[in-house]
Amino acid sequence: MVLEIQKVCKNFGGLSAVSNVSFTINKGEIFGLIGPNGAGKTTMFNLITSMFPLTSGDIIFSGQTINGLKSHQITKKGICRTFQNIRLFPQMTAQENVMVGEHCRTKSGVFRSVFGTKFQRKEEAKIRSKANELLEFVGLMDYGDVAAENLAYGQQRRLEIARAMASDPQLLLLDEPAAGMNETETSDLFQLIKKIQSKGITVLLIEHDMPLVMKLCDRIAVLNFGKKIAEGTPAEIQNNPVVIEAYLGSEEDELYA
Amino acid sequence: MLIEQLINGITLGSIYAIVALGFTLVFGVLGIINMAHGEIFMFGAFIGVIVTTSLQLPLWLGFLAAILITAIMGYMLERFALRPLRSKQGVSHLAPLISTIGVSILLENLSHHLFGAGNHPFRASFAEINFQIGSITIYLVQIVIFVISVILMMGLSFWLGKTKAGKALRATAENLETASLLGVDTKRMITMTVIIASAMGGIAGILVGMAFNSVTPQMGLSMGLKGLAIIILGGMGNVKGAMAGGLILGLAETFIVVYGDSGYRDAIAFLAIIVILLIRPQGLFGQKIST
Amino acid sequence: MLAELINPYHFQVASFILINIILGISVYITLSTGQLSLANAGFMGIGAYTSALLTIHFDLPIVLGIIAGALVAALLGILIGIPTLRLQGVYLAIVTLGFGEVIRVVFINWESLTKGSVGISGIPHIGREILRVLKGFGFDPKVIGLQNNQFIFLSIFLLLFIITIGVIWFFRRQHRSRVGRAFAAIKLDEKAAESMGINITYYKVLAFAQGALLSGFAGALYAHVLAYISPADFAYHRAVEILIFVVFGGSEVIWGPIFGAFFLTLMPEVLRFISEYRYMIYGLIIIILMAVRPQGLIDVNLLNWVKTKGKKRGQKHGTGNTKSM
Ligand SMILES: Nc1ncnc2c1ncn2[C@@H]1O[C@H](COP(=O)(O)OP(=O)(O)OP(=O)(O)O)[C@@H](O)[C@H]1O
Ligand SMILES: [Mg+2]
Repeated sequence: MVLEIQKVCKNFGGLSAVSNVSFTINKGEIFGLIGPNGAGKTTMFNLITSMFPLTSGDIIFSGQTINGLKSHQITKKGICRTFQNIRLFPQMTAQENVMVGEHCRTKSGVFRSVFGTKFQRKEEAKIRSKANELLEFVGLMDYGDVAAENLAYGQQRRLEIARAMASDPQLLLLDEPAAGMNETETSDLFQLIKKIQSKGITVLLIEHDMPLVMKLCDRIAVLNFGKKIAEGTPAEIQNNPVVIEAYLGSEEDELYA
Repeated sequence: MLIEQLINGITLGSIYAIVALGFTLVFGVLGIINMAHGEIFMFGAFIGVIVTTSLQLPLWLGFLAAILITAIMGYMLERFALRPLRSKQGVSHLAPLISTIGVSILLENLSHHLFGAGNHPFRASFAEINFQIGSITIYLVQIVIFVISVILMMGLSFWLGKTKAGKALRATAENLETASLLGVDTKRMITMTVIIASAMGGIAGILVGMAFNSVTPQMGLSMGLKGLAIIILGGMGNVKGAMAGGLILGLAETFIVVYGDSGYRDAIAFLAIIVILLIRPQGLFGQKIST
Repeated sequence: MLAELINPYHFQVASFILINIILGISVYITLSTGQLSLANAGFMGIGAYTSALLTIHFDLPIVLGIIAGALVAALLGILIGIPTLRLQGVYLAIVTLGFGEVIRVVFINWESLTKGSVGISGIPHIGREILRVLKGFGFDPKVIGLQNNQFIFLSIFLLLFIITIGVIWFFRRQHRSRVGRAFAAIKLDEKAAESMGINITYYKVLAFAQGALLSGFAGALYAHVLAYISPADFAYHRAVEILIFVVFGGSEVIWGPIFGAFFLTLMPEVLRFISEYRYMIYGLIIIILMAVRPQGLIDVNLLNWVKTKGKKRGQKHGTGNTKSM
């Protein structure tokens, strides 16, 4: 088990955004988290990465309770994420964005940086070459020197994935990576996520593109109004009347689109 | 003795409250700290000196002139230092702060050239009139200051709470986009806010001139800094908080002069906000414009 | 012949330019994590008073006094930096401004130590100290054709010049490293930076402390160059002046504050008639710049433009070093 969510609740004032949700993710799987708009999926990500404190419950990563840690500590433990509303560093180049992602796996501080010690120069070279590898991995090798804000939308989404992978995560959280992508881009993304899985990285995926989710995921949990209403294999989810009902209530045919 | 000091403290505090109201209105509606407010206030005081002392005209004309001129200054401030930044995309949220700092040093040094660096006495014709109640002496000036302050505060509260324009202003403060969707002319609201805030600063300038019988170009800075401290104390954009914060500071300063070391009087405000911000960052009374 | 070139007054102005450059960089460095600190004039005062008092009362060598001044300022920077981390944007600006005020009030009122608003005079002078030490080795300025006075101002300038180059070098190296990337990431998007594993608390306090250290350092230098300090030297106007170096020159790249400090210190000296209206002009500059060019005169685009031009010219003549800067 890589991640264990135990009876997690989150209230915003009077609003219960996530209530009493539990699920577990096994090593190496692609786990889907779906649900209608406002179901609490992104909030779940924010709780896992400690951007908000939990109201109650526990989050256990590789056998360790991680709630209460700071975001950057969680990244260091091996969880990294992308954002639904892309949050790259806009004025930095693509390469620099990925280099920032390597921050917590590298060490050079002020002294080493300023005096350019041997250690630092080696590390800097390693950071750079790893960034280039990752850019190539997501298909952006020709865009290393382009400022992130000047990339196309789909490229920005892939750059976010590269940046997140730069921290060598065991668990990668992707928040609607296919949003705004056309068909070819989406099928490239499918390949990319499969490749990530084959590297042994566990993936937790939020996505509204149902065909993609059904093809990619090993298991899926469904949230609605902050509660988990179903969990199972794609086939089970597709035939689950409760899930169909939840989706019919909001976005009729998305499940079968 | 104690009661006299209490009265002094309340007089001072009610002036502070008016200065702070000017800051708080602008912050509440625009989300901007107007660093030039202190200097506009100082100009109000100088206009008062010129009208009443140099021109020997009655006090009410002084008030009128000060209101008029500081209102115009408020308009210019909005038009030239704030509006150009609003239309721009991707401007740092620090830009308006820095821009108003620019206005403040421009005005402070302009006043050096216009009025001279020295200390100008401000004599109200009724400065010496006082009442004896038992052993306590109360000056008429103090009563006038207090009454004008209270009227201003009540007027502002009433205007914000009960009138259509005031409600529109509060809606603008609550959410600019929603307000403009609801048909509020937000651009006009913003300009009006800065103008009203500045005019209140002008009135406060005259009150301070009367209270201390002195007006200098530096008073803008020191009063401005205190106003800033008060709105942090009372919660940014909170009208009642500004009044309460002003009173608290006025009393605290008065009493430290009497019972403590008067040299540190000007540091109290900031020591207080440093402490407050550390324990209660939203201020004593929370945020947002409310009546 | 050297003697004719050296006008003490010119070197004095040049020395102030250098000190102001260091002060400008001190604001820039804190701002490079998105934090606007207006406390640097206060930190400058701390550095100046610390070094002045230590060298006067304990006969500490000037070098140690300056180091102590910078360290005390940095320490205070950390003490202020940690609690104010929670404050965003304008709140931070105001609290740091208030902190500067508190320091000024303390300088004025702690008379037994600071002599109040009169200030401290008779602070050991760097230039004279250098001359004294060199004379101890049997050196005489006359050997290179200078009068004592000329030599003193020349030596101060050279010393400050080397120090300033060192400071610029230091922060440019830092900027292009892992630390610099962390700073930039925090400035651009704090939350995203933290999610990418950057300990933002650490780096923000680091940037704040570096700014404090640097302004304390500049303050200590100031004290020993001028030999006289008073609380008014470190008040609100100084804070605003330093801010203007950065706002005018540009806050995106280190060349911004350097240019800003250089230009704005020189301008009133060259155009004497401006001197009187200096602050009014400052005010206007700020207002106009914020409206038309809020990033300041020198920004990344301008630098890139200069670089590519340089490259092109280099290619044409086949001599230029394309790996510029
Ligand atoms: N910081 C916040 N403060 C208050 N309420 C919030 C906050 N973040 C989310 N919410 C609320 O929590 C609920 C769940 O939001 P969340 O963003 O998790 O939904 P989601 O499942 O990701 O939806 P979508 O598919 O549209 O991205 C919503 O009602 C939202 O308004
Ligand atoms: Mg979401």
